[in-house]
Amino acid sequence: MASMMKSFVDVTPGSQFPIQNLPYGVFRPSAGASPRPGVAIGESVLDLSVLADAGLFKGPLLAKSNCFSQTSLNAFMALGRPAWKEARTTLQKLLSADEPTLRDNDTLRSKAIIPMSQAKMEMPAVIGDYTDFFSSKEHAVNTGTLFRGSRELALPPNWVHVPIGYHGRASSVVLSGTDITRPRGQTSPPEGQNGPEFKPSALLDFELEMAVFVGPGNQLGTTVSVDDAAQHIFGFVIMNDWSARDIQKWEYIPLGPFLGKSFGTTISPWIVTMEALEPFICDAPEQDPPALPYLTEKKRFTYDIPLQVALKPEGASKASVICNSNFKYLYWTVCQQLAHHTVNGCNLNPGDLLASGTISGPDDGSMGSMLEQSMGGRKDIMLEHGGSRKFLKDGDEVVMTAVCQGNGFNVGFGACTGKILPVKM
Amino acid sequence: MASLMKSFVEVAPGSQFPIQNLPFGVFRPSNGASPRPGVAIGEFVVDLSVLADAGLFSGPVLASCFSQTSLNAFMALGRPAWKEVRSTLQKLLSADEPTLRDNDALRSKAIIPMSQVKMEMPAVIGDYTDFFSSREHATNTGTLFRSKENALPVNWLHVPIGYHGRASSVVISGTDIRRPRGQTSPPEGQKNPEFKASALLDFELEMAVFVGPGNKLGTTVSVDDAADHIFGFVIMNDWSARDIQKWEYVPLGPFLGKSFGTTISPWIVTMEALEPFMCAAPEQDPPALPYLTEKNRKTIDIPLQVALKPEGESKASVISNSNFKYLYWTVCQQLAHHTINGCNLKPGDLLASGTISGPDSGSLGSMLEMSMGGKKEIMLGHGGIRKFLKDGDEVIMTAVCQGDGFSVGFGECSGKVLPAL
Repeated sequence: MASMMKSFVDVTPGSQFPIQNLPYGVFRPSAGASPRPGVAIGESVLDLSVLADAGLFKGPLLAKSNCFSQTSLNAFMALGRPAWKEARTTLQKLLSADEPTLRDNDTLRSKAIIPMSQAKMEMPAVIGDYTDFFSSKEHAVNTGTLFRGSRELALPPNWVHVPIGYHGRASSVVLSGTDITRPRGQTSPPEGQNGPEFKPSALLDFELEMAVFVGPGNQLGTTVSVDDAAQHIFGFVIMNDWSARDIQKWEYIPLGPFLGKSFGTTISPWIVTMEALEPFICDAPEQDPPALPYLTEKKRFTYDIPLQVALKPEGASKASVICNSNFKYLYWTVCQQLAHHTVNGCNLNPGDLLASGTISGPDDGSMGSMLEQSMGGRKDIMLEHGGSRKFLKDGDEVVMTAVCQGNGFNVGFGACTGKILPVKM
Repeated sequence: MASLMKSFVEVAPGSQFPIQNLPFGVFRPSNGASPRPGVAIGEFVVDLSVLADAGLFSGPVLASCFSQTSLNAFMALGRPAWKEVRSTLQKLLSADEPTLRDNDALRSKAIIPMSQVKMEMPAVIGDYTDFFSSREHATNTGTLFRSKENALPVNWLHVPIGYHGRASSVVISGTDIRRPRGQTSPPEGQKNPEFKASALLDFELEMAVFVGPGNKLGTTVSVDDAADHIFGFVIMNDWSARDIQKWEYVPLGPFLGKSFGTTISPWIVTMEALEPFMCAAPEQDPPALPYLTEKNRKTIDIPLQVALKPEGESKASVISNSNFKYLYWTVCQQLAHHTINGCNLKPGDLLASGTISGPDSGSLGSMLEMSMGGKKEIMLGHGGIRKFLKDGDEVIMTAVCQGDGFSVGFGECSGKVLPAL
């Protein structure tokens, strides 16, 4: 039974990275070493290139592959679910408390297993294209209410039919821990004036999201059905889609968000696979009206992934939790998003990133952005450990985490963090 | 004098690819050969990897960048390197220079008939951005969607508006384009959208630039430095499914209505080659904000043409004559705006202008405008009428600058519409 599996590697109870997880990332074991694929276990990282060089991937799909000698996970992502399952089986065996191959080989083990504190995490994939969706009904209603003035008119007429998305900037997707510089830009003309202002954004915000990495892609002109979509999904990360609300508001009509988003987008470093999330599968929200046939899933499901956002002001010793949400609230599933993305023949590639959009839940404590929490800047957000906010201040650090509670084990994502630096003059 | 330069390679008078042009592309010399950088001259392609292997470029950096399967490494080197390579090529191709001219073995390996090669994507495009820089196009479409009085969005005269496009579906001229299926607005009186093959398939005449050296995340490129980050220009067709676009685009912008395919011409014409055609850009009123105000505001006089060839027709009918110079926002303003928030550009990024429409009805850059939203018929000179594209239609975009005794052209940006699956 999966929950009974145990590794010879020391894993504290409650760890985010037990043998039931095994998320993939890319890391450097030391400064100057090349990046290579790795898997998290307890407080260690398993170097997959070392295992591959030692011939330990013996299965039919991986034995002759050089995917673990690459500087990114794109090649492994391209191989598809049968290869991912084969790798998982191999890794769970090699890490098992009952398996001597790695456990008893001191030289190999010390080369292959490195303390996480020593590893420098890198971007896990080369992202060819990044798409951001808008899949939370609560978030769409909250923001629509702010912009249109009433809850009845809040949802755009297409929202319950179209998994609305827009292309984001791939170049500025960065890894957790990267500082985010407050952007400057044009903002709406002040009351009574004609011309816009140009200044540092005064309404800097975070957006709590999750994102999936695409596995095998599809050729241009072909589609991926909603029932096949899961085979094209490698795994999940947490994402912070930092937003400059004032820049966004002035620019976004008619062609959508642009500079208000592209100054930085942060992802967590460990990609948690669908296999690891299987114990947390749950029902997705009912859809009314029913989705169009091409979006109607034979087996509609989502994942119960509790999400948390904490804010730590400069100089504070403790971060204050300001949001408890859950991936399961999302109206549009990852399979519906992926199928929609290809229905016109658009081609996805391995390593593409598809994000959910801000994940807000049904109550005040579960809102995924400060825009919503502060009701458009009108209400103060109290920080438990002191202070209040409407939007982000310089020096603020935003920390997003996600941990699924299993039967005797947890499956976590690490942290998605970033600190705001003042505008560069 | 540049106009007097002549190549030993036979170049027909009026050719798009005289020695004054020398655009860069990536090609395969034969089936199965690897892609490599090349330059067009007359009806030939010069294989830059062959010249590099023969030690004809100075220094290891230039030599290695032409052994790549894309132009990204060369783009990253920046203007000093591009100028040096241009000088070297103009010398090697010159009628007066024996190095290549008289070396039969090297010459036959390095210079290949264009008809024999297969053109490939010239760069790996990390990100593709589409701007909205034509005032005429913005006014025409705004009039269709809003009203004449409210045609231009309130931000249009201040913001070089742009949106991120789909990089994976940018394809090279000659690639077939499949009519997309998708959701379209609920028919009159109904609540639910339809799902069907797009009935309002359109083209968009644009030009696009490839970025050279990039900038680090968190830094900006000033509008006066922007030109040094621009490698060169191609023609672009931003195919659009107007019915899919209309239903999806509020509030987050165009998405599936665009991402089924975007075509570019294969030869990247450099700023150096376009220098003789620089001209004044339209006056801006109100004046641009300081970060967008150019010390040296210029654009380029590039005549553009769109022709449509229905299935089975022997001749294409010209349906648009426009010009790059009409654009209100320049490429330098677009690039500076793109980085003003600290966004990082990279070598090989693609920045497109948006549909280029001119001031009269013969210079419109899309069928949406020519047909006035589908209300008016577009007459095809060689027979037939259109409102939007039919299956089997081929759209051919060309651009040729007329110089003093020579032309500088871009080749073709073409694509044929296949029926929906």
